[in-house]
Amino acid sequence: MSIALEKALDLIFAGDRTLLQILAVTLRMSFASSLAALLFGVPLGILLGSARFPGKKILIVLNRTMMGMPPVVCGLLCFLMFCGVGPLRRLKLLYTVTGMVIAQILLITPIVAGTMEPFAAAIYPDLRETALGLGLKKKKLLWLMVRESTYQIVSTYLLGLSRAMAEVGAVSMVGGAIAFKTNVMTTAIMNYTNMGNFTMALALGIILLAVSLAINITISALQRGTGQ
Amino acid sequence: MKKDRGKSIATCRMLKKYGTAFVLDLPPLRFECAKTYAVIGANGCGKSTFARILAGLCENEAGKSSANDWTGGWSVGFLPQRSYAFHMSVLQNLMLNRGADKPSTEGMKRAGELLAALKLTELRRAPAKKLSGGETARMALARLLMQEYDLLLLDEPSAAMDVESTLLAEKLLREYQKQTGCCVILITHSLQQTQRMADDVLFLHEGKLVEQGSAIQVLEAPRTPQAKAFIEFYGR
Repeated sequence: MSIALEKALDLIFAGDRTLLQILAVTLRMSFASSLAALLFGVPLGILLGSARFPGKKILIVLNRTMMGMPPVVCGLLCFLMFCGVGPLRRLKLLYTVTGMVIAQILLITPIVAGTMEPFAAAIYPDLRETALGLGLKKKKLLWLMVRESTYQIVSTYLLGLSRAMAEVGAVSMVGGAIAFKTNVMTTAIMNYTNMGNFTMALALGIILLAVSLAINITISALQRGTGQ
Repeated sequence: MKKDRGKSIATCRMLKKYGTAFVLDLPPLRFECAKTYAVIGANGCGKSTFARILAGLCENEAGKSSANDWTGGWSVGFLPQRSYAFHMSVLQNLMLNRGADKPSTEGMKRAGELLAALKLTELRRAPAKKLSGGETARMALARLLMQEYDLLLLDEPSAAMDVESTLLAEKLLREYQKQTGCCVILITHSLQQTQRMADDVLFLHEGKLVEQGSAIQVLEAPRTPQAKAFIEFYGR
């Protein structure tokens, strides 16, 4: 174990080519999917939390159900859509990073929306009444809403990013974990472990944990900085 | 009076239902400028709904909803029961209600006067989110008074304040009214505050206007059994 750990650290500091390639694919997929999920999930969460419309409660329950969707189920659905007999086969998304990003968006968007919804429900009614009570214009109200939500949006994004990086079920089914193409850190750890290459698996595990640590430190720093 | 405007506003009927139950059903009312009206009544009698409809923040199911619809230009300032403290300093919260993006000398002067009047000067640079409930209520009132309104709607402005702060707030409100000639509608539970501040009183019971008259008349000699019971219960 300690020898494997030592070798893993050597690989990281030597900048191993395979390791860097896996890291690049992981970052590309995670940033793309978490940003897209943020774009869809934040307005959806704010809408669910602050607006009144028929069917809102049903939508909230549906979103909460989607939050708990097992990644393998999401992977299976995407696989069936993208495979040779699926309705989206012409897009040729199976075993591509784009296909993996789509699967991740489906997984992360409900989490982003579900995190924003209670936040919006807690602050927006009072914020809206206060701002409109002062006679502020709707444009100013919108600016204030965004300003007051900055911390929440950033921490929600970081949550989505860490979820995207740690996910394995859906990306392995849709991406196929093809070396130098769709192999990401989590699928690579699984493959290297199965092959008995614990050094590489440990090196990837250390990087994954380091990224998770960096994200959590950023969230804590933001919390301190904004006093929230 | 600071500018041309009608001397009074006349509201239309106000109606609000939740499901089949009537929360509020008020007849048309008239409010005059430079006068203070206290709206009193037990919890859940519709006082806040009345204020929110007047401020245009809640739909009036009987028709027109906001004071601007009725008055053709009275500006309305509304202080909700739970005022929001924005993530900025106390001073910045006040300047938020000054319109301009850059703080003007006049705005800073006004903010300084209001903060001093409500004993918040030392807290002007403090984050508004860190204030206590009473301090937040004082800041919210100061923030509202940064602008001149024709109609001030105050929903229990001193509910979180101690006696000293309440008296300071009342003094400030009287000065503001004297300067601007505005009409003040004060939602309150306090009969003492009603006595100190109000010219006229509207007593609501189960969403209906049960009694209306001068403060002396309603507080000293209520005509209806509901108003009488309320005033006896809360004491003067």
